[in-house]
Amino acid sequence: MYKYLLCWRYLRTRYIALASIISVMLGVATMIVVNAVMAGFAEKMRDRLHGVLADVVVESYALEGFNNSDEVMARIQDLVGDQLIAMAPTMETPGILRFRIGSESVTRPVQVIGVHPLERAKTGDFAEHLFDENGNQIPPSFEVPEALRSQSPAGMRLKELQGEPEDAFTKAMIEQLEQQATEQVPEHGALVGYAIATFHQGNGLPDRFLIPPGTKINLVFPKHGKIPEPGYDEFTTIGYFKSDMSEYDSTHVYVPLEQLQRARLLVDEEGRGAVNQIQLKVKPGVDIDRMAETLQLELERLRPMYFRVSTWEQKQGPLLAAVAMEQSILNILLFFIIAVAGFGILAIFSMIVVEKTRDIGIMKALGASTAGVRNIFLGYGLLLGVVGSGVGMVGGLLFVHYINEIEKFLSAVLRRKVFDDTIYYFDRIPTLVETHTLIGIVLGALFIAVAASIWPARRAAKMHPVKALRFE
Amino acid sequence: MGGHIAVDGLFKSYRTGKLEVPVLRGVHVEVERGELVAIVGASGSGKSTLLHILGLLDAPDAGDVRLDSRRIDNLPDRERDALRNKTFGFIFQFYHLLPELSALENVMMPHLIRHGLFSYMRRRKAIRRDAAAMLERVGLGHRMAHKPAELSGGEMQRAAIARALVGTPEVLLADEPTGNLDAATGQGVLDLLRDLNRERGLTMMLVTHDQQIANQADRVVRLAEGRIEEWAPALV
Repeated sequence: MYKYLLCWRYLRTRYIALASIISVMLGVATMIVVNAVMAGFAEKMRDRLHGVLADVVVESYALEGFNNSDEVMARIQDLVGDQLIAMAPTMETPGILRFRIGSESVTRPVQVIGVHPLERAKTGDFAEHLFDENGNQIPPSFEVPEALRSQSPAGMRLKELQGEPEDAFTKAMIEQLEQQATEQVPEHGALVGYAIATFHQGNGLPDRFLIPPGTKINLVFPKHGKIPEPGYDEFTTIGYFKSDMSEYDSTHVYVPLEQLQRARLLVDEEGRGAVNQIQLKVKPGVDIDRMAETLQLELERLRPMYFRVSTWEQKQGPLLAAVAMEQSILNILLFFIIAVAGFGILAIFSMIVVEKTRDIGIMKALGASTAGVRNIFLGYGLLLGVVGSGVGMVGGLLFVHYINEIEKFLSAVLRRKVFDDTIYYFDRIPTLVETHTLIGIVLGALFIAVAASIWPARRAAKMHPVKALRFE
Repeated sequence: MGGHIAVDGLFKSYRTGKLEVPVLRGVHVEVERGELVAIVGASGSGKSTLLHILGLLDAPDAGDVRLDSRRIDNLPDRERDALRNKTFGFIFQFYHLLPELSALENVMMPHLIRHGLFSYMRRRKAIRRDAAAMLERVGLGHRMAHKPAELSGGEMQRAAIARALVGTPEVLLADEPTGNLDAATGQGVLDLLRDLNRERGLTMMLVTHDQQIANQADRVVRLAEGRIEEWAPALV
């Protein structure tokens, strides 16, 4: 019983020991905050990645893809149709985007993606990421609105001519202007990645459009053939793809699938267009890893060494793994802070043991066992660890809870943005507190506090009672 | 070998560096139950060492310690701890109260050591009552909640006596109990010890270098250079 009483009294009367646990406290709080923010970011990133990518993607190794997409999709339907919600054939190819700003021609490398917009919308968050220039959501379609056509120079002239009498000259004029209008506003629409189409000014200023709606864009991509040659096509910008994943927003350009197939010369004699991806949306609760394995195995029979089936996590494997690795390395480094705190406890405990030498002698004279004396100091260490990690945990959780307010305050004091939302497009710092991480951190801190008190406790326990009593 | 507590052929030396300093060189003492024996001698004559060995705080190099004719110096640690807790009571020159605890808690200490958490919880009222009664007995009923730093020397020694007696020991070992007190206070403490000795039939061994105090004992053992020099009946 005396062990508990003395631990408690030491805790309440030895403030120097409390000072030693401030480092434990700070270490625990820092680890909780860092883990919460990193987990928050990772979670948000996964969300967005998963939003853009379908659950499972069947790809061909060759860029040219396969013409028998109906057959492949039928096979997939046979195999796992009961677990699927939707399928969408897609043609994805690297390309170059060219557009004009004033008289200047600008080119950018892009990923040209040919889709059926409605099907694509069923396999992932596609429709949710489509916006017009004012940030209003637009329906998933490549139709060029009549309004855009009439706003073009030729379109305006056409409008002016509408009321005029129909003679041969006007007719010829109208014909020519109509042709010009199609040239100025091509027939097919394209949805351009938001980061390609805009210039982000930051500092709370609105983004400026480099490619406003109605702009004609040129796409260059490899054509099918023994020697790949560049193919060209023109599209009208009708909207923007904004997923908040900068990787996608700065490369993706969505165009109608059939048009891309035609332009890339990927339509065979039977009129079947080739695709190089089939995106699958899986019912919730289905093990997508197993489904991918099954499909891989079965499609291998259809055409060996041609199809690659991957889940969205596998496709973004390196990125997700990098985030996980960053987090674990950071944790190891931060844990050293607590380890350093452990040495603080060790030093202060050694001092306390010296200071308490006579008391140890007295307790032994009164019949306290060696183990009993040792347990006083081990218990004291544990108690300090509990207090340190407890306060650290509360502090860390409060910090996480008010992290955005703290960020605002710091930004105001430092007069510069601490959390730059241009990098991630987040307006708030995402956080996620995971219980298992929390438990791990607290247990780790407790372990270090106890481990640091083992040596002083053993020294105290081994003390000879007579020498301890005579200690001056 | 009879008596309540006895030592026989006791040798003990301390090593300081390479030098071995003999402290006890064949000491034989027998104390009857209820006897109050004073151990006197010059500084360094081995009085305190003898007391420590008697109270199992130190182990002899040779010789044995017997309690009711049972050898106790070679018992396992656990049993020696239990004997120190139950059978022996210690009083020191510098009181040695634990500074973090109140007078009452200091007096409760032997009980706190004896009992685990649950066993203490069951008996806590009795233990508290017992310790409070003991403090009353030594005249400190009004000082229970005070920390040692708030007590005078005499009061601290009284609290230490209460602590030594609360576990109802059979043998009380006092090392210069009045050494740090003025004459009047010292005499008060001594009277208290004498009374307790009579009241409870306690066997008491009292180390002192003060002949005045030794004279109040039933018997005086004089140590010189690690040997018993004289067995003298008290003058009173």
